Amino acid sequence: MPVTYEASFAKALFGAEPALPPGIDAHSAAAPARRFAIYRNNVMASLAAALARRYPVIERLVGGEFFGAMARQFVIKHPPRSPLLAQYGEAFADFITGFKPARELPYLADVARLEAARTRAYHAEDAVPLGADSFAALDAEALGDIRLLLHPSAAILRSPFPVVTIWAMNSGELEPQPIETGHGEDALVVRPHLDVEIRALPPGGATFLQSLADGLPLRDAIAAALADHTGFDLTGNLAGLIGSGVARAILSPAAAVAEKSDMAIP
Amino acid sequence: MSSKTALANATIAGSLAAALAMIAAPTFAGPKLPQPTMDKCFGIALKGENDCGAGAGTTCAGTAKTDYQGDAWKYVAKGTCASIKTPKGTGSLEPTKS
Repeated sequence: MPVTYEASFAKALFGAEPALPPGIDAHSAAAPARRFAIYRNNVMASLAAALARRYPVIERLVGGEFFGAMARQFVIKHPPRSPLLAQYGEAFADFITGFKPARELPYLADVARLEAARTRAYHAEDAVPLGADSFAALDAEALGDIRLLLHPSAAILRSPFPVVTIWAMNSGELEPQPIETGHGEDALVVRPHLDVEIRALPPGGATFLQSLADGLPLRDAIAAALADHTGFDLTGNLAGLIGSGVARAILSPAAAVAEKSDMAIP
Repeated sequence: MSSKTALANATIAGSLAAALAMIAAPTFAGPKLPQPTMDKCFGIALKGENDCGAGAGTTCAGTAKTDYQGDAWKYVAKGTCASIKTPKGTGSLEPTKS
């Protein structure tokens, strides 16, 4: 099929005005335009439904009617570029940011970012997280120098809104109750095993994990976190680092791992 | 190794020991153990939701409606957003007059 034909078909499918692409005919009826309109509507409805599956909390926050209408506007502006339906809607958060009818809900885009990160984590590569025993076996003399490889599913999201609380209360994780949006929350999204987990990070925690993700040694990551927030609690954040399963491997220095492991691990 | 670095390492080691003790405590919410009986549904959607492409959209839901491109926005947010207070106040969205 020539590319020009596909382009004209796609244009008719997502164009603002109902139009019949050239070459479309109906086998019996004299109403191909009406039949193409049905096809067009089904394409739109299925993509809007896919979006609702990926962003269930957004749908709950604004209601089905609002969401359906917003989703259709999105589909028109952002038709699929990939056959993978699971990846459809990556641009939804940015779309919401610029979507005037939703501007009175300023947290909505960040909640969408959290939901998008959740799906990405779900489909990310599997990896066995580093256990507490691996951290216990580290050489204390070289602790500040170690660099970590984070889990392939890990994502860190910073928000000036309490996105984790909003998400949790609208996804069944927490009992719903009135929320004040006065404070921000940073989120860690990770799938250490089969289930995607979303955690609110403690003060400085996002900077700490992001610094480690960027390849900084532990000492520098701690310094960056303290610079970001003086209330950074090292013990609590290390417990979160180990307990969340966000660490996949200890990269370096080789001496810190190797010397110790000669003694500790057979 | 300088004494400053050694001190920092000792501080980190102390925190690490405390963190490991914290994780070992039964109340700590660590990662859930693997659930080997559950299948992961690759390349489709969240598990249990893998029918989204072949669900409502491919039936004749809303058959032959062609007015979805209308620019007039007449929908009001009726979800749980009313329970979330923002500096601009609470409540549902008002219909946008355009």
